[in-house]
Amino acid sequence: MECWVLNESLSVILVLSWLGINLYLFVDTFHWYEEEESFFYTRVILGSTLAWARASAVCLNFNCMLILLPISRNLISFIRGASICCRGPWRKQLDKNLKFHKLVAYAIAVNATIHIVAHACNLEHYHQGQSSEARGLLAALSKLGDTSNESYLNPIRTFHTNTTSELLMTITGISGLMISLAFILIVTSSTEFIRQTSYELFWYTHHLFIIFFISLAIHGAGRIVRGQTPESLSRHNVTFCRDHYAEWQAAASCPVPQFSGKEPSAWKWVLGPVVLYVCERLIRIWRFHQEVVITKVVSHPSGVLELHMKKRHFCMAPGQYVLIQCPSISWLEWHPFTLTSAPQEDFFSVHIRAAGDWTRTLCRAFGAEGQAWKEPWNLPRLAVDGPFGAALTDVFRYPVSVCIAAGIGVTPFAAVLKSLWYRCCEPQPPLTLSKVYFYWICRDSRAFEWFADLLLSLETRMSEQGKTHLLSYHIFLTGWDENQVFHIALHWDENTDVITGLKQKTFYGRPNWNNEFRQIAYTHPGSSIGVFFCGPKALSKTLQRMCRLYSSADPRGVHFHYNKESF
Amino acid sequence: MGQIEWAMWANEQALASGLILITGGIVATAGQFTQWYFGAYSIVAGVFVCLLEYPRGKRRKGSTMERCGQKYMTKVVKLFGPLSRNYYVRAFLHLGLSVPAGFLLATILGTACLAIASGIYLLVSGVCGQPADAMTPQSLQPPAG
Repeated sequence: MECWVLNESLSVILVLSWLGINLYLFVDTFHWYEEEESFFYTRVILGSTLAWARASAVCLNFNCMLILLPISRNLISFIRGASICCRGPWRKQLDKNLKFHKLVAYAIAVNATIHIVAHACNLEHYHQGQSSEARGLLAALSKLGDTSNESYLNPIRTFHTNTTSELLMTITGISGLMISLAFILIVTSSTEFIRQTSYELFWYTHHLFIIFFISLAIHGAGRIVRGQTPESLSRHNVTFCRDHYAEWQAAASCPVPQFSGKEPSAWKWVLGPVVLYVCERLIRIWRFHQEVVITKVVSHPSGVLELHMKKRHFCMAPGQYVLIQCPSISWLEWHPFTLTSAPQEDFFSVHIRAAGDWTRTLCRAFGAEGQAWKEPWNLPRLAVDGPFGAALTDVFRYPVSVCIAAGIGVTPFAAVLKSLWYRCCEPQPPLTLSKVYFYWICRDSRAFEWFADLLLSLETRMSEQGKTHLLSYHIFLTGWDENQVFHIALHWDENTDVITGLKQKTFYGRPNWNNEFRQIAYTHPGSSIGVFFCGPKALSKTLQRMCRLYSSADPRGVHFHYNKESF
Repeated sequence: MGQIEWAMWANEQALASGLILITGGIVATAGQFTQWYFGAYSIVAGVFVCLLEYPRGKRRKGSTMERCGQKYMTKVVKLFGPLSRNYYVRAFLHLGLSVPAGFLLATILGTACLAIASGIYLLVSGVCGQPADAMTPQSLQPPAG
């Protein structure tokens, strides 16, 4: 319980800190532009919208700086690996990198809206400043810059123009439009629906970030928002001279004020993260050139392809994933796959299900669809980047672990269970873990027959070693038809399960979590139990509730620690 | 990239454009900008586009996640007849709707976004070979149960 509170509160504290920095930057900049003397005359024309535009610009700079960092995978892996500074709850925050990336994107959207609205108003005010109805100080300020020894304040020089064409004639305006369009296209193609239905569209459109950052760097080059120069401020006392604008040309006490634009600063904020991200991409190119040897290809039924590969200096932990690219299919696409082999094996493997364009083409290229057997030299070349992601090694740190997988979430547990088998065979170092409960819920086990095979081989080997008590697994099939019902009922009394061939029988329907957790809590009183889940959000919430419900209030009683994997 | 369901993206893009048009229109009208009547037009056009695009059309294959409260909007949208069914019609409608908003600075972003959405719908109906009348009346029905 304490760990849960600590984990969640750390996330909340980090988000509040980020929000606090945003608020501080906004309010501080707003206040500065509202009070600063050098912008007094600018405020006469623009009013408060100047401060709104500039404050949101600073927040935009801050968030654009942050947005590339959570997706610098190698940087995150490096920080995770440097375990001196990152232990326990801090390391878990690194798993929430994508959530943070989205949060920063929302902040960019909000600040961009404020910025665009404020600048639309600013341009309108500048335009109105040149109208014949403008009077007094406003008119005088707008006229500045007409003669050769004056610098202008109002970037719009005549009323007989429209603000749209004024915008489109400046670098600032065009780059602003490019930034906004790139951002909107990225956001609309990143909705959950699009990501699930067409990952490629999401992936390709996201690369518009290149246009986004280039346009951002040149956006301030127009220097449209102008303030009074320091030399001019020292000779021209604003407090006195603002009421004597008619005498600026003539009087020596109030020389004509001079203005200059603020130099662009966005590039200073984003340079570091952009360089880091370029390094990430260079690392990926370097890894692309590293040789990957395919040592085994297994074609499982239901369109699942298993690939065993070897790569120099590759070391992984169970639960991690790799990015795979196949140049003969597409030079630009890298797809993520969870590793299904144990670290103790001398190869690494992935199981690829033919579910979309790229995966279907890959399976066909490896001869998975009943075609003629392929010679090793005919197999397409693959490039592998990684491994990335949170390791599931915490499974081995608890005396009792409960692993729950739903549907395709079973894949990371393949690596965990294989690793468990190797670890329990080694006498040194002794394993803290004494019991693993594995729950697998799926609609149709046919797509994961390879996993059922894995369980069967584990079952056999454990009984050979006399360690059958270590692993207790329960398979729940939630989709079944009438024919299956008859078949199952007929063979109910046999030793092995009729569907999977395993000694432990398959259950039909969803598990009753209350019973399961109650049973586990009863069997292991006073233990610290790790619960690991990979699957849909709804079930995650249920399991978190179960963990809270069945954890004892007594510190010496049983405690369930929930760990959700984010892939 | 042949299997990309462009229509889904066009729908998201058009919905976003509608919201941007409404925002720009409100700013221009409330601020009484020069030619603010284009702003008023933008608000109306934005609301219309949002209404039209809110119900998510059925995917060619696979399940479709409906948007919240979609079934009430679907009844209204079906009244528009071929407007709601045909991608060519939608593409040209969006292009036509976006042009007047381009005259005002506050709504020019909405114009650009809606024009892009129109381009994607055109791509869907013409280039990718998906049938122009992909959105049959049945596809706009909420699924039973």
